[in-house]
Amino acid sequence: MSTKTSTNTTESAAAQLEISKPPKPRKAPKKSRGRAKDRLILGVLSAALAITAIIAAGTGQLHIAPVEVIGSILHGINNWLQGWLDYFGTGLSAPFGGAPLPEHPRGYETLWSVRFPRVALAMIVGAALACSGTVMQGVFGNPLAEPAVVGVSSGAAVGASTAIVTGLATHGNWVVAIFAFMGGLITTLLVYSLSRSKGRTEVVTLVLTGIAVNAFTFAMIAFYTYVADPNARDQLIFWQLGSLNGTSWISVLSVLPLLVAGLVMAFSAAGKLDLLALGERSARHLGVNVERLRMRMIITVALLVGAGVAFTGIVSFVGLVVPHLIRIIAGPGHKLLLPASALGGALLVLLADLGARTLVTYSDLPLGMLTALIGGPFFFWLLRRTRNEQGGWA
Amino acid sequence: MSMLDVFRAPPTEIPDPLIPGEVAIVATGVSVELGGKRVLNSVDLSVMAGEVLALVGPNGAGKSTLLAALAGDLELESGQIELSGRPLHQWRAQELALRRAVLLQQIQLSFPFNVLEVVQMGRAPWSNTAASLHDDELITAAMAATDISDFAQRRFSHLSGGEKARVALSRILAQDTAVLMLDEPTAALDLRHQELVLQVARARAAAGRAVVVVLHDLNLAAGYADKVAVLEKGQLAALGTPEEVLTEEILSRVYQHGIDVMAHPVTGRTIIFPRR
Repeated sequence: MSTKTSTNTTESAAAQLEISKPPKPRKAPKKSRGRAKDRLILGVLSAALAITAIIAAGTGQLHIAPVEVIGSILHGINNWLQGWLDYFGTGLSAPFGGAPLPEHPRGYETLWSVRFPRVALAMIVGAALACSGTVMQGVFGNPLAEPAVVGVSSGAAVGASTAIVTGLATHGNWVVAIFAFMGGLITTLLVYSLSRSKGRTEVVTLVLTGIAVNAFTFAMIAFYTYVADPNARDQLIFWQLGSLNGTSWISVLSVLPLLVAGLVMAFSAAGKLDLLALGERSARHLGVNVERLRMRMIITVALLVGAGVAFTGIVSFVGLVVPHLIRIIAGPGHKLLLPASALGGALLVLLADLGARTLVTYSDLPLGMLTALIGGPFFFWLLRRTRNEQGGWA
Repeated sequence: MSMLDVFRAPPTEIPDPLIPGEVAIVATGVSVELGGKRVLNSVDLSVMAGEVLALVGPNGAGKSTLLAALAGDLELESGQIELSGRPLHQWRAQELALRRAVLLQQIQLSFPFNVLEVVQMGRAPWSNTAASLHDDELITAAMAATDISDFAQRRFSHLSGGEKARVALSRILAQDTAVLMLDEPTAALDLRHQELVLQVARARAAAGRAVVVVLHDLNLAAGYADKVAVLEKGQLAALGTPEEVLTEEILSRVYQHGIDVMAHPVTGRTIIFPRR
């Protein structure tokens, strides 16, 4: 297509570069249009997430209409506000007292003590896992990197199980969260140092490293299951299946700081993750301190996986499926990809958990089993596509 | 993302442009070992603003290694390399990125960015400076100069090898640094685009930039370089103007193959041709 222009225009094009004021661009990069598209994608995802959350909270053995769910949220806020207003002795009354409450007498109680914490944790776990997948793929330069596939999730689960089996978990739920983070950190460092050669990670090396790490971590969990007392054993089996059953507000508050810290660290490195796509040397030539970025991102992944695993167990493939789908609609730029993946992940896990507790009446299916049922074939399809594009298992 | 501005580094100082003839990079007694093998042996070289310096030599002579060393990518076994009077290792990655741009031989991209996005990445080092006001102009000019404006919206991964090479060069031009280092920029290109790339390099030098370029094609070196450095087994075999260095005697010895150097019957320009 390019040979039709004559040499003269070639020379003038070369000369053009040194003219102090280049001529008016034919195709100016339209940033404003890009921003509008970004806002649209984030807006649609946020709206979908909010609507799904309200519907999910109202769905279950006890059905509660969306209006009543919203009313209950307002009432909760109202009670909290009223508490503070009374505490300061203002004599004022909080504004949402007239919001509609569920018709069922135990509706309000059910929402606040069972459904809301579960919906909140589902969103936290989804956002954390999807974002950790995105960051991991950016750092490894490989779209197949995912916390569960490479063994980081099970590493975090080993950390959490250690806290349970040794009885340290009795000091508080936050101990489990911290141990999950530490387990994730150690595994991420391990996988990273094992699977890289000459500045990049090949698909084969990455997947094989994942098999090795998973074999080891599952053996650790199996050992813990063997030595644990019956009560701890039940908890450990639940790690391996992944479930949001019995979520409490304490679990939500224990992992929320990990999620927030991880998201802030990930978002602040978005531009540098883009440059890393050019390879480590080129990223360095563009001013990225690659070693420091790498360490920061490893900690970020560990924080996010810790949040995603601590009270839920291993929910696999969210970090693989979500960033991949978001890249198709939002493109690969991390400034949009990271927040959109967080929202998309929250939406996906929320829907998956809704399915887990409603697909079969009077039973709560393991969430991890559901995501793996969808994610496993998806991973295989992605592997085959990658192989076809690269002409081999490069 | 404005609330995340707190986490950004303070604004970076913009470097002064080089004066033509000013020495941009000085390498003194540079030796490099890779995998226990000495690949560069006490090389002395300086790169001047307003000049195109070509690095030539047979395979394995150390051209790319020398370029990587000048870019600050390698640990030196001995010797020193200074950029604007300061040793390379004393510059932060961010400061170096405002002063030199590097085009690597192997071009990779992990995710499906489009051509425009790749070229925009070249402006990343300037994002905290006043120079970012000119981002759009510089990107448009860099894309026009490398003849890639027509496929700005195409995916990088869907391009041919030669098109990818031009997009990568475009990114390096958009980085708009005083020093340009190009490792075999013409390797994947057709004749017209080989000429185009070196014309761009010349134009940059004419505007006071310093250009170091690794070339395989000796005719391109003869036609476009102000100075040529001939490398042989990790050592500098010759350094000078093309007329001084690209002689039958030096080239035949270094390449271990008979090479004829003659004048073009019409234009009188140097033609270099292997004996057959």
